[in-house]
Amino acid sequence: MKLNSREQNGVIVLEPKGKIMGGPDATVLKEAIREHVNQNAKNVVIDLKEVDWMNSTGLGIMISCLKTVREAGGEMKLSNVTDKIKSLLTITKLITVFDAYNSTDEAVAAIGKQ
Amino acid sequence: MLNKPEIQQNRITIPSDPALIREVDEFVESRLRERNLSDTLIADIAICATEIVNNGINHGNKQDLNKTVTLELKLDPEQVVIVITDQGISFDPERVEDPVDPRNLLREVGRGIFIVKHLMDTVEIDRAQGGGTVVTLTKKIA
Repeated sequence: MKLNSREQNGVIVLEPKGKIMGGPDATVLKEAIREHVNQNAKNVVIDLKEVDWMNSTGLGIMISCLKTVREAGGEMKLSNVTDKIKSLLTITKLITVFDAYNSTDEAVAAIGKQ
Repeated sequence: MLNKPEIQQNRITIPSDPALIREVDEFVESRLRERNLSDTLIADIAICATEIVNNGINHGNKQDLNKTVTLELKLDPEQVVIVITDQGISFDPERVEDPVDPRNLLREVGRGIFIVKHLMDTVEIDRAQGGGTVVTLTKKIA
């Protein structure tokens, strides 16, 4: 998994690419979130457009990221969730835990509005 | 001691190193691509294969590098059969808490076997000869 990071309207947008399935992937995404939160950048969108799929380890990584952001008082949204990942979120009922948006622009705009 | 993945035809054996899960995924995906399966089928099967291998590495073999996890693919015209064997303690799926119980939704672990049961047609968990766990997954492809 590769990870790109950028800022959009004061929100950190993380763009993982590939598959999220554990091993080194676990630390890459978690560390990126921690670094941003430590720098007081608490609002994050994870753009999943380039993520082929993830397994339960990947879902666990996403939950860990969500907890880190929430504990810091921020918000985390998902964007561009592929059908494969959406079906995993539905099966596991995590669709009720994550806020998912069709585009990164929508996700960024939704930060701070709930 | 095995210190890197060993591939023989449709079988891969790895030491119990979580970083090697990617090698297993690439092996499974490459074999399935040769059969021209749909992307969805390939993803479902690869997700489940990595789930069970992860379980073997972490829960069965406890990341003991002296122990291995072996995955064997049987590609029949109508179904894919995947047999995954570890050398650790036996796995009891009944002891896993319900991951969709609202109290467990924010847990970071415990969804693997639940996902596998949803995506595969059959899941059999048995004790391996000489100890360990053998998990057999089947998925219809025709």
